[in-house]
Amino acid sequence: MSIHLDPDKCLACTTCVVHCPVAEATPAFLGPRMIGPAFERFRLLGIVEDDSLKYCANCKNCEIACPQNVPVATINMLARMAQCQEIPPSFRDWIVAHGEVLARGLKYFPAWLKNMGTHLSLMRTLLDWIGIHKDCPMPNFAKTAFRDHLPRLSQKGFAKSVAFFPGCYINYYDPGTGFDLVWLLNQAGYRVFVPKDFVCCGIPLISGGFEKDARDNTRTNLRVLAELNAQKIPVISACPSCRLMLTREIGEFFPELMPKEKISIDDAQSFLLKCIATGELDIKTAHNSSVNISAIYHAPCHLRAQGAGLPALELLSYFPDIAICEANAGCCGISGSYGFKKEKYAIAQSVGARLFQRITTSGRPLVASECGTCRLQIAQATKKPATHPLTLVRAALQGRPLTLG
Amino acid sequence: MSVDRIETDVVVIGGGATGIGTLRDLSLRGIAAVLVEQGGIAHGTSSRFHGLLHSGGRYAVSDTLSAKECIEENTILRRIGAQCVEETEGFFVLLPEDDPDYVEPWLKGCAEAGIQTEELSVEEARRLEPEISPQALRVFRVPDSCVDGFRLVLHNAMSARRHGGRVLLYHKVTGISQANGNIQSVDVIDTLTQTKKTLYCRAVVNAAGSWSGQIAALAGLDVPVSPDKGSLIVFNHRFTSRVVNRLHPGSDGDIFVPHGSITILGTTSVATDRPDDTKPTREEILRLLAIGEPLFPKLQTYRILRAFAGTRPLYTPGNAQGRNASRNFQVFDHASDGLHGFFSIFGGKLTTYRLMAEKVCNAVASYLNVNTACTTKDQPMVEEASAEHLKAARHAFPVGDLSLMADRVGDDLEKVLDLAKKRTSSSSAGNPLICECEMVSLAEIESIAQDPDSHTLTDIRLRTRLGMGTCQGTFCALRAVNAMFEHDIPLSRDPLYELRAFLQERFRGLAPTLWGIQAQEMQLSRAIYAGVLNLRKETYAVKN
Ligand SMILES: Cc1cc2nc3c(=O)[nH]c(=O)nc-3n(C[C@H](O)[C@H](O)[C@H](O)COP(=O)(O)OP(=O)(O)OC[C@H]3O[C@@H](n4cnc5c(N)ncnc54)[C@H](O)[C@@H]3O)c2cc1C
Ligand code: SF4
Ligand code: SF4
Repeated sequence: MSIHLDPDKCLACTTCVVHCPVAEATPAFLGPRMIGPAFERFRLLGIVEDDSLKYCANCKNCEIACPQNVPVATINMLARMAQCQEIPPSFRDWIVAHGEVLARGLKYFPAWLKNMGTHLSLMRTLLDWIGIHKDCPMPNFAKTAFRDHLPRLSQKGFAKSVAFFPGCYINYYDPGTGFDLVWLLNQAGYRVFVPKDFVCCGIPLISGGFEKDARDNTRTNLRVLAELNAQKIPVISACPSCRLMLTREIGEFFPELMPKEKISIDDAQSFLLKCIATGELDIKTAHNSSVNISAIYHAPCHLRAQGAGLPALELLSYFPDIAICEANAGCCGISGSYGFKKEKYAIAQSVGARLFQRITTSGRPLVASECGTCRLQIAQATKKPATHPLTLVRAALQGRPLTLG
Repeated sequence: MSVDRIETDVVVIGGGATGIGTLRDLSLRGIAAVLVEQGGIAHGTSSRFHGLLHSGGRYAVSDTLSAKECIEENTILRRIGAQCVEETEGFFVLLPEDDPDYVEPWLKGCAEAGIQTEELSVEEARRLEPEISPQALRVFRVPDSCVDGFRLVLHNAMSARRHGGRVLLYHKVTGISQANGNIQSVDVIDTLTQTKKTLYCRAVVNAAGSWSGQIAALAGLDVPVSPDKGSLIVFNHRFTSRVVNRLHPGSDGDIFVPHGSITILGTTSVATDRPDDTKPTREEILRLLAIGEPLFPKLQTYRILRAFAGTRPLYTPGNAQGRNASRNFQVFDHASDGLHGFFSIFGGKLTTYRLMAEKVCNAVASYLNVNTACTTKDQPMVEEASAEHLKAARHAFPVGDLSLMADRVGDDLEKVLDLAKKRTSSSSAGNPLICECEMVSLAEIESIAQDPDSHTLTDIRLRTRLGMGTCQGTFCALRAVNAMFEHDIPLSRDPLYELRAFLQERFRGLAPTLWGIQAQEMQLSRAIYAGVLNLRKETYAVKN
C-alpha cells in the first residue's frame, strides 16, 4: 500500500511542533511537521523511513493545532503502516495492538487468572522483558465482558432502540460504564443493543502499523454501520478514540472502503444532551438528590481532535449535584498503549506531568474522563479515582452515591 | 596598482557545465589549466535549467545526431556521476490532442538512435504514476533521467581540483590580449575584492554559454550565439516519480521532471538579447500551467514553490530562432579568424556537456601538442560513499538517511562527518536540522561555510539546498544565520544584511507565482521578518 497525502498545505509554521507533547518531552522525536508533511516529500522520493517516526503517539494534538488542516498524525500513521510492511512489528507491538483478539482468545479463562498478569511481580517482570514497562498502569479484565452480559439485562417495553459501539475498553475492562449508559438510555426510552458483528474500531491496530488487520475490521464495522444507518437506528459510542476512528480516520486511511453515504455515530454524551433537549430524558429528579460529587474533568485528546466541543462537560454541568471543573492541561501521555511500552514509558509520564500536577493541586477528589486509558494513567499517577462522566451522570440522576475503586 | 600575475597553459572562461567539464578533461590529460567564473559555481544556465538528462527521445524525429549523443552521454553520466543523477526513467505520453501518426516516426527515430522504448498499457502507466491523465492514449518508457546541474558542475570541479585544475570563482573576464595572432593573456577582476589579475596562457577556451558572444567580442571576434530564455515552474512535491514528456514534436511546457523532493515543469522559449535575462513573467507561468494541465489534470491544485528562468546559448548561424534553432553544439577554432589558441564551445545541452568538453579539449590538446587521450568517460567524478561508513555516522545526524546529504557534498563528506561527530560528542542535540524542508544539518552548513569559495548564504544554499524547500527560507534563513553567528562560523557580511539579501533573492523567484498557499507562506514570512524582527528596507537596504 502506498497512500501518500499531499503535503502541500503545510506552511512550515511549526504551530504543531509547539503543541506536540512528545516533541516537548524528547529531542529524539523530530516533531510533527518534520516527520509528517516535511518528511512526506522525501517519502515520495523513496528515502528510508526515519527511526524517529516510532515516537509519534498518534495523540492528534498536532492536527488540533494546525491552522492549515494538515492531517499530520494521519500522515505519520500511514507512514508507519508502510514501514511495517517492510519491517514486521515486534511481538510486543502485536500484543498491545490486538487487545481484542487476545481477550477473545482468553475468553474462557477466569478474570482472576488473567489479571494475575497485572498484579504478580513475576508476571510484570516477564511482560517487562517483552517490552511492556513494569510500572505502567494496566487495566483489569472484568468478570464478564459487557457484550456477554448485556443480553441478560431485561430491557422490555421500549419503542425505540439505539445501537451501541462499546469499544474494547468498556467491553473487556469497564462494563460498568456500559451499564450506566444503558440505564441512562433506558430512562430516555431507548433499548440498547450491540450488533454482534461489531469489532475493535482498529485505532490500536493503526497505531501499531497493522494495516491489513485495521482494514479488515473497518470493512466489517462499515458493513454493520451501513445497515444500521439505513434502518435509521442511531449508533452511539462512549469512547472518543473509537468515534474519531469510525467517523473520520477510516476515511483517511481507507478511502476506497468508504460508502457514498456519510456514516454517522453519535457521541454518547451528545446523544443524551439531545434527549434532554427533546424531553426524552427527564433530569428534573436530579435536582432533588444530594449526591454531592466534586470532580475535575480531563478532555481526552481524541475528543478534542473531533472538534465537536466538550459534550461531557456540558452534560455534567446540568446537574446541580456535580461540581465540575476542567483540567485543561493537555495530554495525559498514555495515548492508548503508547505509555505501556518500555521505551516510551518515561516519555508518557513526562507528557502527563502537567496534567497530573493540575489534578493533584485542584483539590478535587475525583477525576472524570471518557477515555479508558487516560483514566488508567491519571489514576495511577495522581492516586485519585477516575471515572467515566456517564457514571457521574447516572449517580446524580439516580440519586445513588458513587461506589468507586 | 600592482596586478597579480598567474601563469598556466590554458584559461577556461565560464564555470558552467561546459567550462568545468573542460577543466576536468584538461586536468585529467595533465594539461595545466585555470578556470575563471564571474559568479559562483554554475552561476549561469547550468543551474537554471530543467534537469532532464535526456534519453534523446525528445530529438528522435527532429535531430538523430542529437538523439544519439544524448543516449550515449546519458549512459556515461549515470556511470561517472551517480551522485548527480537520479535514474528515474521517463514516459512519453500520447494524449487525444496529439497527432497519433507521430508515434511511428518517433519509434523509428528512437530505434535508429539506440534509445530503448517499451510500450506500457495506460493502466500500468497510471498504476506507476497515478497523477497522469486518464485520457492518455499510449505510454512509452524511455531511459530519461534527472540530473542536478549545480551538483554536476560542483563534482566536476572537485574532480578537476584533485587533478591539479584551479577554479577562480567571482572572477570576471574583462579583456583578452593577443600578440602576433597568438593568445597571450586574459585579464580578470575579482568581483569581491575588486583586485585585478592577469592570467598568462597559451590557449583560451571560451565556454561562457550565452555570454560567449561577449567573450568573443573581447578578442575582437564574433560567434553566432543567441540567448534564448526558458522559464520553469517548481512545485512543492514530487507528484511524479518519472520524467513525463508529451509524445509530440517538442514544444513549450510539455516536460515534467521530478527532482529530489520537488517537480519542475517547463519550459518556454523566447529570444532575448541579454544572457542574464532570468526573470520569468507571470504570463509565462500561466501559459505553462495551461499547457501542462492536460498531462496532469490536477496541476492547478499543486502548490507552486517558485519560478525561475535561464538562457540557452543557441547556435544561430543565419539567424535561426527558438525551437527551430539547432540544439547541436559547436566547437570553433578561431585560428581561421586569425587568432591562434582561442577556442569557443557552446550550444548543445547539459546532457552532452562531457562530449562537448572532450571535443574542445581534443582541439586544445592537439594545438598544445599533447597526445594524452580523454578519460573523462571512465572515471567517476567523486567517490561513492560506502553504506557502512554512513551507517557508522548516523547517530551524529538528526535524520537517519544520510544518502541525500552524502550525494550533495561529494568530496566534502569526510569533513561533514567529522564536524557532525565533533558537534554531537559534547551534546546529543549538537547537530540539529537547520533547514527542515530539505533536511540540512548544522554540520553540513558549517562545512560548506568554511569552504573558501563560500561567501554568502546563497553560496551555502546552492550547495546544501538550504532554503530551497517548502518554506523558501522563512524559517531556515533566520535559523542558519543565528546558528552560524552563535557557533562562530564565518559569514563575510553583516548577518542582518546577509539575511535580507537571502530572503530578497528567494522572494524574486516567488514573485511571479504568488498566489494560493505560497502567498500565505509569504505573508507568514513578511510577518516574521518585517513585522516581528523589523528587518525592513530602510534598516537594511540590499543592493541588487
Ligand atoms: C530553461 C532551460 C532548460 C534547459 N533544460 C535542459 C535539460 O533539461 N537538459 C539539458 O541537457 N539541457 C537543458 N538546457 C540546456 C543547458 O542548460 C545548457 O545547454 C547548459 O547548461 C549550458 O552550459 P554552459 O556551461 O555552456 O553555460 P553556462 O552554464 O551558462 O555557463 C557559462 C558561464 O560563463 C560565465 N561567464 C559569462 N561571462 C563571463 C565573464 N565575462 N567572465 C567570467 N565568467 C563569465 C557565466 O557566469 C556562466 O556561469 C536547458 C536550458 C534552459 C535555458
Ligand atoms: S500525533 Fe501527537 S505525538 Fe504524533 S506528532 Fe501529532 S502531536 Fe505529536
Ligand atoms: S502541519 Fe500545520 S501546524 Fe504544522 S507546520 Fe504545517 S501548517 Fe503549521
